[in-house]
Amino acid sequence: MSSDFRSPCSESSPPEGVTSVQEDWTQLRTLLLAPEQTQLDEIRERLDNRVVQSEDVSHVLPEAFALRGDNDQQLSTVLTPYVENGLAASVRKSPRTIVDAIAPIIGPAIRQAIARALQSMTQSFNHSLDESVSMRGLRWRVEAWRTGKPFAEVVLLHRLRYRVEQVFLIHRETGLLLQHVATDGAVIQDQHVLSGMLTAIQNYVQDSFGGRQDQTLEQFQVGEWTVWSEQGSQAYLACVVRGTPPASLRDILCDALDHIHAQHTDALTHFVGDAAPFTTTQPHLESCLQAHYDSPPKQGSLKLWILLGLLLLGSAWWGWMTYQAHARWSNLLERLRNEPGLVVTEAKSAWGGYHLEGLRDPLARDPTAMVVEAGLEPTTVKAMWSPYYALDSPLVLARAQSILQPPTTVKLHIEGETLVATGSAPADWARETKRLAVLVPGVSQYRDDGLVTTSIPVLLDQINRTIIHFRSGSSTVEPAEQAVLDAVSTTLRELDRAVLPSGQRVAVEILGSTDTTGSVARNLQLSKQRAQAVLAILGEKRLGDGTALVTGTVRLSDQREATSEAGSQRIVTLRASLTVPEQIHGTARP
Amino acid sequence: MIQKKICMLGGFAVGKTSLVRRFVSNVFSDHYQTTIGVTVEKKSVMAGEQGVLLMLWDLYGEDEFQHVRESYLRGSSGYIVVMDGTRRATLETALALQETAVKTMGPVPFVSIINKVDVRSQWEIDEREIEQLRARGWTVLFGSAKLGQGVEELFLSVATQIMQAVPLSSERA
Repeated sequence: MSSDFRSPCSESSPPEGVTSVQEDWTQLRTLLLAPEQTQLDEIRERLDNRVVQSEDVSHVLPEAFALRGDNDQQLSTVLTPYVENGLAASVRKSPRTIVDAIAPIIGPAIRQAIARALQSMTQSFNHSLDESVSMRGLRWRVEAWRTGKPFAEVVLLHRLRYRVEQVFLIHRETGLLLQHVATDGAVIQDQHVLSGMLTAIQNYVQDSFGGRQDQTLEQFQVGEWTVWSEQGSQAYLACVVRGTPPASLRDILCDALDHIHAQHTDALTHFVGDAAPFTTTQPHLESCLQAHYDSPPKQGSLKLWILLGLLLLGSAWWGWMTYQAHARWSNLLERLRNEPGLVVTEAKSAWGGYHLEGLRDPLARDPTAMVVEAGLEPTTVKAMWSPYYALDSPLVLARAQSILQPPTTVKLHIEGETLVATGSAPADWARETKRLAVLVPGVSQYRDDGLVTTSIPVLLDQINRTIIHFRSGSSTVEPAEQAVLDAVSTTLRELDRAVLPSGQRVAVEILGSTDTTGSVARNLQLSKQRAQAVLAILGEKRLGDGTALVTGTVRLSDQREATSEAGSQRIVTLRASLTVPEQIHGTARP
Repeated sequence: MIQKKICMLGGFAVGKTSLVRRFVSNVFSDHYQTTIGVTVEKKSVMAGEQGVLLMLWDLYGEDEFQHVRESYLRGSSGYIVVMDGTRRATLETALALQETAVKTMGPVPFVSIINKVDVRSQWEIDEREIEQLRARGWTVLFGSAKLGQGVEELFLSVATQIMQAVPLSSERA
C-alpha cells in the first residue's frame, strides 16, 4: 500500500534528516488512513476469494435472470442449447422421470384424441348404416362413386346441418395466428396466411364503413361455408362453419374467448410474435368444434330392423350350412381313416373346397365313392393319392387272391403274417403257390397243410370201393378189417378238407348186407347190426366236421348185384356223396 | 417459431409484389390486392440462431386514386419501403409513406430497397439522393425483381433489425 500514497518529495533522493520526516509521514498516514486501509484489505480479499464470490452471486442470480429475461430474448437464446442438451441427457439417463412428469399432460390428450376418433367413426358408421338401403342412400352412393369420396363422408355431408370445421385464435392488432384447430377431413389452407387475410378483411370492412373499433365484421358467407368471428379485447376467434350454424354457437365462442382472455391476459398483452404460450388454449378452441346432423327418418329404423333380421337369417343359414359341411367333412375323414389301404396325411378345408393328400393301396376302396357316400360333391374335393402296399389282412388276402389266382376249391385266409390255403387243388397249382406265396407283399410265410391235392371224384371213388367182410351170421368186425376201416377214415378226412372251401358236406351211407341163408327178418336185422358196427368204429376215427355218417340196408335187388360184384353177401359197403347242408336230413352222428 | 408482421410499402408499380413473389409461399391471388388493398404472404428466415416467420402484408401501391390504409400498418414489427430507380417520383412517395408509417407504427425498424438495379443506367434516382436517404438513417438496398437479386438480403436485413431491436419498448407502446 505504500506505493499508492506517495509523498510529494519522493521524486528526489532523500537528504539528511529526511528519514525522520518519512517516518513521521508514514506514522501520520497510518494514523489517518488505518480504517480505510483495513476496509481495502477486506475488499481485496473478498474479490480474490472465489467461495465468497459464489455466495454473493447466488444471492442475486434469480433477480438477475428476471431482469435480463424481461429486457429481451437473449438470455433464452443463450440458455436454450444448454437446457436442450440437459433435457436430452436426462431422458437418456432416466426416461422414467420425464415420463412421470409429462404423463399428466400427455395422458388426457391421448384419451381425448382417441375418444374423438371413436366418436367420429361411430357417428359415420351409424349414418352409413341408416342410409344404406334407402333410395336416397343409393343416390348418395352414386355421388360417392362419382366424386371419389367415401360413402360415409357423403352421407355425413348431406345429413349435416352445420359443422365448425376450423377455429382460428388470432391476435387482433397484428393479425398473427396464436392457435388453430380443425376437424378431421377439413380443407386447410395456410392458416398463418389465412389469419392475416381474415384480419385484413376485418380492417378493410371496418375502414370502409367507418365503423367504430367495437363494430366489426361478425360473419360472411362463401358458398356452403360461413365464417364467424367473435372479437375480444386482445384476440378474436374466427370459425369456418359448413352449413347454417345456430345462434347458440356464438355463446360457445364467447365463453371460449372469455376463458382464453382470462387465462392468458399477460401473454396477450405482451405478445411479440411467440405463439408458444397459447398452445394451452387448444381445449377451448376444440370446444368450439361443434357439429349437428339431421336425425334419420323414422321408417329408416324399420328398414334397419328388416336389414338386421335378414342379416341374422343369413348368418344363421350360413352357420347351419357351414356346420353341415363341417360335419360331412369330418365324417369323410373318419371313414377314410378307418378304411384299410387308405392313409390320410393332410386334410384342409377352405372356402369353396377341400384338399386331401395321402397314400392309397391299389386294392383299397375308391375314395371318390366314399366322398359321395359322405354327402359331399366330388368336384369340391381335390385329392392326391400316392400308391403304397397296405399290410392290413383283408388287403394282403385280396393281393394274394389277385396274384395267386386260386381255384374255386381252394380257400385262402390270413393268420398274422401267414397265408393259409385249405381245400383241394391241383398238385401243379399247389406246388407253384408254395413258391410264389411268400413273394406277395405282406405275406411272410405260407402254410398248406390243409390243402388236398387229390381230386374229389378220386376220393369218392376210393371210398365207394370200400368193402368190409363179416363171417356168416356175425355182426362183429374182424380184426383183419380194421386196416380197411383205417384207410377209409383217412380218405374220408381228406375228402372232408377238400370239400370244405365249397361249403359242401360229405354224406356217407353205410350199407349192411347178408347172404341168402336164413330168414328174411334175421337177415334184415343182421344187415342193420353189421352197418351199426362199422358206424361205431368209423365214428371213433375223428372224421372231419363236415362228414355225416348214416346207416342203411341193401335192398334185395341190390344184394344180388352186390353178390355178383363182390362174390360174397356178408359185407358192408360205403356210399359217399357230396351234399349241401340243407340236403342232409335225419343224419346221425355216432 | 417467432412470427412478425411486416408491411411492404411503395408507390404504384414499383415492383413490391414482383420482388417477393418468387421467394414466398403464395396462397392468394393478386386480385385481393386490387380489391381490398392487400395480400398477405409469408416468408421464413433465420435471424442468427432464431427462426422468424415473416407475415408480409403486401400493400397496394400508393397513387392518386388509392392511399395506404393505416389500419393495415397497425401491429407491424417493421416494414419495407420499395422504390423504382427509374422513376424519381417513387422516391417522393417512399418518403411520404415512411412518414405515415412512423406516425402509425412509431419508430419500428425498416429497410428500403431500390428496384430495377439491372437497368441502373436508366435510373432517375441518383447517388446524391441515395446518400441523403442514408443520412436520414435509412438502410438502402438495391435489388432486381427481374433477376431476383437482393430479396433474401432484404428480408434477412429487416428480420435481423427487428430481432435486434428491443421488442418490449417498441411493440408494447
